[in-house]
Amino acid sequence: MPEITVIRGRRIAGGAAEGEALVADAMLSFWGEVDPVKGTVIAVGHPLEGCALRGKVLVIRSTKGSSATPMVLGLCKLENNAPAAFVNVEADCLAALGCIVHGVPMVADLDQDPFALIRTGDFIRVNADEGTVEITRRG
Amino acid sequence: MELTSDQLSVLAGGRGPYLARALRWIVEWGDVMGAKRLVRCTNTHALMPVANTLARGASAATLAQQAEELREACQHPTAPGCLCTVHTLFLTMDPLDVPQNDPVQIEVQRGIAELATRSGFLPTFTCAPYLTGNVPLKGEVCAWTESSAVVYANSILGARTTRHGTESAMAASLLGLVPEFGVLLDENRKGTLRVEVTAALTCPSDWGALGYVAGAAAGLGIPVFHGTPRPSQDDAKQLCAALATGGGVTMCHIAGVTPEAPTLADAFHGDVPSEALQFTPETLRQAYLSLRNHTGDEIDTVILGCPHASIQEIAEIAALLRGRHVADGVALWVNTARPTRALAESMGIAQQIAAAGGRVLCDTCPTNMRIPARRLVTHGFKQAHYSRGMIGAEVIVARTAACVRAALAGKWCGDE
Repeated sequence: MPEITVIRGRRIAGGAAEGEALVADAMLSFWGEVDPVKGTVIAVGHPLEGCALRGKVLVIRSTKGSSATPMVLGLCKLENNAPAAFVNVEADCLAALGCIVHGVPMVADLDQDPFALIRTGDFIRVNADEGTVEITRRG
Repeated sequence: MELTSDQLSVLAGGRGPYLARALRWIVEWGDVMGAKRLVRCTNTHALMPVANTLARGASAATLAQQAEELREACQHPTAPGCLCTVHTLFLTMDPLDVPQNDPVQIEVQRGIAELATRSGFLPTFTCAPYLTGNVPLKGEVCAWTESSAVVYANSILGARTTRHGTESAMAASLLGLVPEFGVLLDENRKGTLRVEVTAALTCPSDWGALGYVAGAAAGLGIPVFHGTPRPSQDDAKQLCAALATGGGVTMCHIAGVTPEAPTLADAFHGDVPSEALQFTPETLRQAYLSLRNHTGDEIDTVILGCPHASIQEIAEIAALLRGRHVADGVALWVNTARPTRALAESMGIAQQIAAAGGRVLCDTCPTNMRIPARRLVTHGFKQAHYSRGMIGAEVIVARTAACVRAALAGKWCGDE
């Protein structure tokens, strides 16, 4: 049996989802730093530059930057390019709004450091209603 | 969150399904952000975007759904419930043939802009509403989109707005209500990061450099600047835009300048941290270098007016261009709001810019319109930061005078 680690956080937007982790100890603006049509991070020099978001559990410090972040998350959703869930250290009000309105589960205010425990490619189950993030190590 | 009987009735559908849904969004949002109640909001600045995605391969269904949401909001009987200025569009309302924009998208965005205007939204179409008459007073509760304008409203004007998305700003404009969390509350307006400024700040772009560095360091916090000279309105505009680009800043204080920071101690509510980020002449130099990724000196685009240019900035640009002409093959854009351009036209300075080969662009900016550029020079740290990814351009951020020199020469000539 693979080892499973569980970290706990606070429900920001309800629901449950699972997918591969995409991890960066960084902030990200959706407008201007994510292309909702290509579904990739386009921020030059960002640790996630070039990465596809579709179906991923996005483990970052928080969103930042543009107030069009919720709108771009909505466009990602309509284009089937949205992350499956957000696992963020801090609950930025723009990620919170975008996830609530556009139906993406989100957990923040975690009880452990996600960057020490989660690596890109790990399999993650997020149950935002329960506030749990279940990590199965891959590779 | 505690709701009044009126608010519960709206939630239950007493004023129709649209308002019930809008209220449900802002109640749920407020709950997770720590709000205990909804409060009256009298001033909104809302984004009504039809982003230029169709030409880049997005589905027609995406455009249709986004447009339908906006039409529904604009046509709602309570729209606008309170003063609402409209943010920049993704096109100019002027006739301008831009092959990168899909004609269907253009038609839909124009239609929504016109519908919003007929419904009583104020068609400012600007990212700097405080330059076109939307100037909230100290303490006024607002719901603004546009990250740079949010920082300006809170920090420079002393108004109170959390960072809003188009969804919550439209809800607030219809309902006249916002959840009371974050900087709406006194205790959350306390500084979190002390920034000691020893660099000489000599122009708006220098203030942009300060904001870009401090924003990245502050994250979602509130930087407090100490040791700066008194900024001009244009300096403050660049500072606020860059703070919200480098990080997720909602407000800042400038000790001795901004309304809630007569002193450094006031900015920190008496609790001044001993540690400080040092913004030295070398930090300033490095900030400019961090947004210069050019591999050659030939340029094809110069973008001024990010955020939208003030009348003073347009006058300065016109003076720098007087009697000269932009180099062949170079597009010089000066972005501003329509009322500001009208003033510039009445002064003859918009015509001077046009005679020199520049273009005064209203309602939007070239990056929002996705006008391609290979290598661009701009005085805006926000513009430089985002245009690298959004239009794939190499960028050079520089002071206004150096930007204009580059436009005239057709190549980057250095800072001095």
